[in-house]
Amino acid sequence: MGQRRFTEVWRVWAVVAAIVLATVVVTLRLVQLQIVDHAQYAADARLIHYGQDTLAVRRGALLDRSGYPLAASEAAFNVMVEQRAWEDPAAAQTAADSLAQITDASAAEMLAIVRDTEAFEIPVARGLNYGQGVAVRELGLTGVRLLESSRRTYPEGNLAAQLLGFVGQENSGLTGLEIDLDSILGGNPGQVTYERDGIGNQLAFGDRSETPPQPGANVVLSIDRYIQRLAEQELDRAIGDNGAAGGTIIVVQPETGQVLAMASRPTFDVTKPDLSDDSKQALFRNRAITDTYEPGSVFKLMTTAAALDLGLVSPGTWWYDTGVVQVSEWSIFNWDHSANGDQTVQDILTKSLNTGAAWLASLCGAGSFYDYVERFGFGVTSDSGLSGEADGNVRTPESDPTGWRPVDMATNSYGEGIAVTPLQMAMAVAAIANDGVLMKPQLVKEIVGPLGTQVVEPEAVRQVMKPESARTLLDMMGVVVDGVSTAYLDVPGYTYGGKTGTANIATVNGGYKPNAYISSFVGVAPLDDPQIAVLVKIEGPANVPWGTVVAGPAFSRLTEQALAYLKVPPTQEVLVASLQD
Amino acid sequence: MAAGRHGSRAIPETLQATNIPVILIMVALIVGVAALLPLVQTSLATSTGGNVSRLEDLREDWQARLHEQEVSVAELGSLDRIEREAKSRLKMVVPDSVTYLTVDAPPPAPLRLPSRFLPDKKESVESGSLWEDLFGWIPLP
Repeated sequence: MGQRRFTEVWRVWAVVAAIVLATVVVTLRLVQLQIVDHAQYAADARLIHYGQDTLAVRRGALLDRSGYPLAASEAAFNVMVEQRAWEDPAAAQTAADSLAQITDASAAEMLAIVRDTEAFEIPVARGLNYGQGVAVRELGLTGVRLLESSRRTYPEGNLAAQLLGFVGQENSGLTGLEIDLDSILGGNPGQVTYERDGIGNQLAFGDRSETPPQPGANVVLSIDRYIQRLAEQELDRAIGDNGAAGGTIIVVQPETGQVLAMASRPTFDVTKPDLSDDSKQALFRNRAITDTYEPGSVFKLMTTAAALDLGLVSPGTWWYDTGVVQVSEWSIFNWDHSANGDQTVQDILTKSLNTGAAWLASLCGAGSFYDYVERFGFGVTSDSGLSGEADGNVRTPESDPTGWRPVDMATNSYGEGIAVTPLQMAMAVAAIANDGVLMKPQLVKEIVGPLGTQVVEPEAVRQVMKPESARTLLDMMGVVVDGVSTAYLDVPGYTYGGKTGTANIATVNGGYKPNAYISSFVGVAPLDDPQIAVLVKIEGPANVPWGTVVAGPAFSRLTEQALAYLKVPPTQEVLVASLQD
Repeated sequence: MAAGRHGSRAIPETLQATNIPVILIMVALIVGVAALLPLVQTSLATSTGGNVSRLEDLREDWQARLHEQEVSVAELGSLDRIEREAKSRLKMVVPDSVTYLTVDAPPPAPLRLPSRFLPDKKESVESGSLWEDLFGWIPLP
């Protein structure tokens, strides 16, 4: 009896123990699921039950100075596919084929994208336009939905491609103004988190939280699309006529420093930038600010400006040209190895005498000469706000006490051994045309945001030279062009002045490329009240290297059309009639 | 027994005999209808939510079409297209020479930024304090 009772009790306890053990196991498992691994399972559940979308924000437009869009955004759609919706190969193939008929993507690519992903949902086609988006939606494919995005468009085509730059897949700027102004243009995308049903659709009364997007601001540039187009057309023509490798044209409004046009060649297709080929990435850079060059005889303007402003010479000051200037063991010759005898300072500019420029620099002395070089803005970035802008290279006794030699100043006086960017040179010439006041180059005029308009005012950097000296130099520039054949320089109806430059192309080793030149012309018009300063720089002309022949005609045609467009009245002599009410 | 019948005189006979089942049925109906109300309410709300969602989609569609039209307008106004149209459709040519005339008239107004690129005009209603509202009509000395 006792043995039997013991057995029964043991059995009861065994059952109880089994139940307790099972309970403990279940409890531990629950602890693991709900406490230890809670975060992971909660995340997995959220992934299934909750969707999260980035609310597309419309990127601000880049507008020209009159409000015409140069780069704008339009709505686009990305096709999102849930990975598990395409687990059945046959169904996936059918869906992919249907999508391929509407989008530009191939069905095989779309299937591969979905097959290779571990994400819950992935985009298989991007940048669909509105019509394509509607067509995809009407297919009603399970697990396929549209996510609104935006696409950058360029209504003026490739106009100012390097200056504007382009954006990447996520609508962030990659080059040019698109990246420099990214924080202004981009805005802040919103985000929405929502509860969804089994096929991914948002539940009408599910949880939902939304951070609304903040749209980007429109930026009004100083660029004028008409003048920019003129500049690009004339640049292409000059390059074509002279068999050149490339070039740059910059048009600046002297009084404000606003850049009306900035064109460079070679360029690229901004609507379809080729990012796959590294060698083509050089085309993306804005050569007007990133590339430096030896300006050649154009720099004689700065040398003359220094001598005039210091009161050392006047346009009529005489000097005797022996054809050679000896500096230490170095001999400086004129570009044509001529000896011209008695010459005025005006003649030095008109005939572009290297010996005369070296003489003017020696009159100034190194301290004053380089002071004016720096005051004109050479050797430092012009603070244009464009990324990648080069400083240029100006060696002075202070910056390079051991390397600098007196002959450096002599060669610098006529634009050799010194490196500048096209923008620096254009701004320096604009300063001469602006009564000696150097302006900061201005590319942004206004920022039109959701909260209002911010106007960017022109900013003066410094008074480089006295207004009367600048006026005198401007008149001298007018005399320089008087002696040039109208076959090369002619702006009918307007007074204008300028200076040519022909320089060798320096190599990284310190020498010069044989038979390779940069031909340039800088000019201002009209002379009595300058409205534009223009720089034309042509690289590697195949025929003749002279700036007058290569760059002069482009300056003439561009200036004539630009002044007429800007409604600058021509001189009285060309007016053929007057109309009265 | 008679006393009992007497005692139940407080409850009308009709109620005792006929109305209790009716009341029960009515209560049951009321409870049933009341139970349906949340369902109807939820159904209506779901329907409204669906409509809101549909209208939001519609608004986004129109917004997308609007942006597309804006870009189309910009492309139609591009300089390349204007020149192409001028040359091909209007048979215009580049002039050989330019003739300048002076006219005794003011120049045209400068081009203004198209309104679509300007920020929305928000009507600001300036409301003064309660005292200003009350005594604002009194002219200042």
